[in-house]
Amino acid sequence: MQQHNIQHFLERFFAANHCPILEKDKGYVKVQLTAEMDKQLTNRPFYWHYIERIGAVGEPMALTFITDPALSVDGEKIHFGSPRLHQIFATTKKLGRFIRLYEQVTEKSIPLHPWLNVNMHISYQCDRKQDRLLSLGIHLISGTIVESFYDIVKEKRWDTKIPDYCFTISPLIKPANGFARLEKYVEEQIAKDDHSWANEAKKRWEEDLLLLDHFYETEEEKPEGYYNEKEALRQRYEPKTIVSIINGGLFYLQPK
Amino acid sequence: MDITIEWDRDWKEQFLERLERDGPWASWELYDLAFETAQHLTIPQFDGLQAPKHLPNLTILPHQYEVAKQVVEEMNGKAILADEVGLGKTIEAGLILKEYMIRGLVKKVLILVPASLVSQWVKELNEKFFIPAVPQKKSYVWEQCDIVVSSIDTAKKSPHREIIYAQNYDMVIIDEAHKLKNNKTKNYEFVQHLKKKFCLLLTATPIQNRIEEIFHLVSLLKPGHLGNVNHFQEKYGKMRSLNEDEHLKTLIRKVMIRNRRNDTGIEWKKRKVETIFIDFSPEERALYEAIQQLKREPLLSGDHSLSLITLLREACSSREAVFFTLKAMLDRSPSSSSQIESLIEKIQAATRNAKAEKALELIQQINDKVIIFTEYRATQLYLQWFLQQHGISSVPFRGGFKRSKKDWMKELFEQRIQVLIATEAGGEGINLQFCNHLINYDLPWNPMRLEQRIGRIHRLGQTKDVHIYNFAVRNTVEEHIFTLLYEKIRLFERVIGELDDILIKFQSKPFAEHLEHIIFHSQNEGEMRIKMENLTEILSQTRGETRAAT
Repeated sequence: MQQHNIQHFLERFFAANHCPILEKDKGYVKVQLTAEMDKQLTNRPFYWHYIERIGAVGEPMALTFITDPALSVDGEKIHFGSPRLHQIFATTKKLGRFIRLYEQVTEKSIPLHPWLNVNMHISYQCDRKQDRLLSLGIHLISGTIVESFYDIVKEKRWDTKIPDYCFTISPLIKPANGFARLEKYVEEQIAKDDHSWANEAKKRWEEDLLLLDHFYETEEEKPEGYYNEKEALRQRYEPKTIVSIINGGLFYLQPK
Repeated sequence: MDITIEWDRDWKEQFLERLERDGPWASWELYDLAFETAQHLTIPQFDGLQAPKHLPNLTILPHQYEVAKQVVEEMNGKAILADEVGLGKTIEAGLILKEYMIRGLVKKVLILVPASLVSQWVKELNEKFFIPAVPQKKSYVWEQCDIVVSSIDTAKKSPHREIIYAQNYDMVIIDEAHKLKNNKTKNYEFVQHLKKKFCLLLTATPIQNRIEEIFHLVSLLKPGHLGNVNHFQEKYGKMRSLNEDEHLKTLIRKVMIRNRRNDTGIEWKKRKVETIFIDFSPEERALYEAIQQLKREPLLSGDHSLSLITLLREACSSREAVFFTLKAMLDRSPSSSSQIESLIEKIQAATRNAKAEKALELIQQINDKVIIFTEYRATQLYLQWFLQQHGISSVPFRGGFKRSKKDWMKELFEQRIQVLIATEAGGEGINLQFCNHLINYDLPWNPMRLEQRIGRIHRLGQTKDVHIYNFAVRNTVEEHIFTLLYEKIRLFERVIGELDDILIKFQSKPFAEHLEHIIFHSQNEGEMRIKMENLTEILSQTRGETRAAT
């Protein structure tokens, strides 16, 4: 993500959260936070607690983000990796975790089919890390599972309200059941994957253990340092797979 | 094979709950931004760094990329970055820091550097890496800012120390970390106490004299990695080189990366070394001989040999330097005043300084920016005055200067002044690649320090060939050292990495002590020459070995 992409991202983020942009130019943007966003970003719980206790209306802050460090504007410098951007990323993920959306169709009297979508993050971890994103959708009528579901829905227009004169079909498969099917699907996919990475990590782990032992071979009673180092090696090398869920929900979609 | 899968089930529960309560639901835009965020934060391959993609304007050299990658992937963020001087260790450290910040693993950072480098680090991190580092100026900065750059001398003092001890750092970076080689110093203790998850130690000279030095550095990063200190000393203390033990070498490689200039494949500007021998004026010679006489009629108790050699070396630099030392001696033992007074008479007679005259001539001839290095502060002051007398203005540079003063001196030198006169302590931590002439007015006895000096100008970013002028006074201790170190073993042409091996060979005593021993205990010139030649012989052998080994 380069500096100009960051600025674009910020503008979209604040627009999506109804924060007006007060000023902007190449390299910086100034936004007026809403009370909601202020609570998410400015870390002043006591202030908001106090305001609410006395029943007053709080004054949300206005923040300036600078993406071009050469500019001499008052505000926060922001870059990919800066704690502030991580905070905004985390807020985005938190706020965008659950959806129920209806496709905005122009024709009338169209039945919209329910799909359960789950976007997940699959991480193979040992002393190294590899991540993969998987966007799955399951048709809650037929049970068909589709990969790259995000690419399909990205092309369409969506709203949280059902369009006029359209109706939805009730799921035959309950969402909880649909979720279980997706889980099974993912586990099968992972099992089919090449896991030489895990074997290699174990090999590196064993080599390091041997080397460590060599440095302590003369000591019968091993000191604490030895066990600390051994535990550090386990944490570093032990292979594991972690599946975490980014977001998802129900999409009501016009059948093709 | 069995792969255990850890599922995050939290999402499912919350989702089903929302279905029941009919919301709340996010908008399409937020859903889309959240997925996009995940895409940005995904690490698609086991190998490779993310940071360079986000730093399109930074030129990262192949060896720098490799170092950063190795530290992140194989060393778990605990490493000694020991590239030779001038290969861009700052860039490597910045890249590693950036990578960890992007991965969201590092937020709170402490960077300890020589005072003269604080503003440079701040500037580079901000401009090259978009990392909002701030210099430590007020004591609240420690707690309130995420990324703080400071000098270790400030940081270790009260009340700063107590505040710093209370912080949990995700990463600590220490520049010029060879200052931590001795585990009995305040600096060492301070760094050992810091709470740190990741740690980078930067030094061009990880081993200066003894092999245990590496043990102490490694122990800061990973206590226990090399076993305990007694066992280590017993087993490896006598070793002459790291290469002698495969286990040790392997283990050190897990925490230290060292690139040499020649490995990097970069076209380096040439070093052109010129030796200039100088003859004393008769009065200077008389002073030198008078000091030499003290060898036979001991004037001082205790550290006699050391004082004598110091005086001899000072006499090769300036009479002012000799005077300073004599005065200090007189204050300590007033009883020897008659001998000292006769020396002071000789000093008063030596009104000419042949070296300074030569320096002046050379500076006028170069007619461009020149750096002069001297070991002595008195010489530094004298030279400033002397050059001023001849219409050449100069700025001084010393380790003891405040940060702002160092910055200002560097700025003046870059913009307006022809000559910068630095003492040894100023040799580290200042980058002057805009200048390409360096005079070694007197020579340090530890060749590593010489390399640090030259590294100030012979580094990445230097656009011209670098000229080094070495001054040595004929028929003095200086000439002996020079012939030995800098001529016979062709020190200036050799790859600096080999020096580690050579110096370790003398690890029973620091190298300078060997020299002092020879100079002090030889009865005459002839004996000294033979002993020096022996030493040279050993050095050349080491050189042959390291050549053969690589």
